[in-house]
Amino acid sequence: MKNTFLFLLFFAFTFSSCEKDDICDANTPTTPRLVIQFYDFLNPSVLKNVTNLKVVGEGMQEGIVFNTATGNAKYLTNGNAISIPLKTVGTSTSYSLTLNSGNVNPALVNVDNIKFDYTTQELFVSRACGYKTIFTLNPTNPYIHTDAAVADEKWIKFISVEKSNLENENETHIKIFF
Amino acid sequence: MKHTLRSFFSICLLMSLTFVQAQETTPVKSDPKTTQTEKIIPATPLPLVEINPTAKNNDSIPVKTDRYGVRVGLDLYKLTRALYDENYKGIELVGDYRLTKKYFLAAEIGNENKTTDDDRLNFTTKGSYIKAGFDYNAYENWLDMENIISIGMRYGFSTFNQQLNSYRIYNANPYFGEVPVIPSGKKFDGLSASWIEVVAGVKAKVFDNVFVGFSLRLNRLVTNKEPENFSNLYIPGFNRTYDGSFGVGFNYTVTYFVPIYKKKIKPVVVAKKVEKK
Repeated sequence: MKNTFLFLLFFAFTFSSCEKDDICDANTPTTPRLVIQFYDFLNPSVLKNVTNLKVVGEGMQEGIVFNTATGNAKYLTNGNAISIPLKTVGTSTSYSLTLNSGNVNPALVNVDNIKFDYTTQELFVSRACGYKTIFTLNPTNPYIHTDAAVADEKWIKFISVEKSNLENENETHIKIFF
Repeated sequence: MKHTLRSFFSICLLMSLTFVQAQETTPVKSDPKTTQTEKIIPATPLPLVEINPTAKNNDSIPVKTDRYGVRVGLDLYKLTRALYDENYKGIELVGDYRLTKKYFLAAEIGNENKTTDDDRLNFTTKGSYIKAGFDYNAYENWLDMENIISIGMRYGFSTFNQQLNSYRIYNANPYFGEVPVIPSGKKFDGLSASWIEVVAGVKAKVFDNVFVGFSLRLNRLVTNKEPENFSNLYIPGFNRTYDGSFGVGFNYTVTYFVPIYKKKIKPVVVAKKVEKK
């Protein structure tokens, strides 16, 4: 009897000190980013690395940080995939994608603009995380691809929507061929 | 939580004081005449008295009786919490009925209105609950004491509604800035839950028929009708829910015992040991 009581008491205190679920675990799937992969336009099944790509959201001064480097280098990526956040308020987000950003030869620097149109839905996650937003890309016009003010040839040749429901970051939503 | 813990400890401390109170007995006044024996010199030798061994029987053990009845009261913890916590209103009535020497039928009925303010969510839970079950008194009382150290079980059922007052969107990549708190006001009606509780409790008779006691409860959800796109993060009677289906509870009660009938305690017959060969 005494042991049972102590056991229960122990349990009660164990639980009362458990406040870990007040912190949203980083592994919990919350608001997903848009996952973009880059492919070779001439060989569409092969991934292709971008060179010094800088991605800046409309109205933002600084680009998306892609790595832990210091200075402007942290805004540049040379990989074949990027994940960019969409605005949870509103139904569209515009990005400018600059290839060969910071190159000394201005002829190589090429800026393309993409505007993504979508609808949002708010889903409950947990006490600690609150709600998350998931996105559904507009079925008829998921994106608008335009050239920047400087009228050079668009570096992005083709954009393919692989998944219009953005629910997690484990899959590629957009393929960009260049 | 720190405050809850602190108040919990202070209540435990308070309880220990009431135990002391309960154990107090009024000292028997000794007759001063009987102590003055020095000066009395017997005038004559004591007369021989025939010893009758059967006459000794008149100091036999008085027949002990157990009182049976209903104990009713309320939870002071819930009642007083409304005084210092503006987000909480609640009441709980408790009662038990003594079935046998050791077993009590026990029940709690309550109503709660609690607003929970978390980092990402603010919601109000309103509802009522009932818990019914039994307590087993594991404490062997001396003489006519009626204290209880019990362990028991309850089955709890609650109907309630939740109102989401405001919430925040979790965005691990706040490139466009942190999204502010979004007001909601959405209401989720017709929710219910049921659970099993294991109760460990103490009740001490402080005076006459008044008892004070407290109990600790470990709860496990059995059924839980969850709202769509929200969760029962607080259930009246069950309290806060955690990631699993377990929860904890606590109450501090003051009860009044209404005696209904008495039952004689059969003297315990100690069986003689039979020597085995």
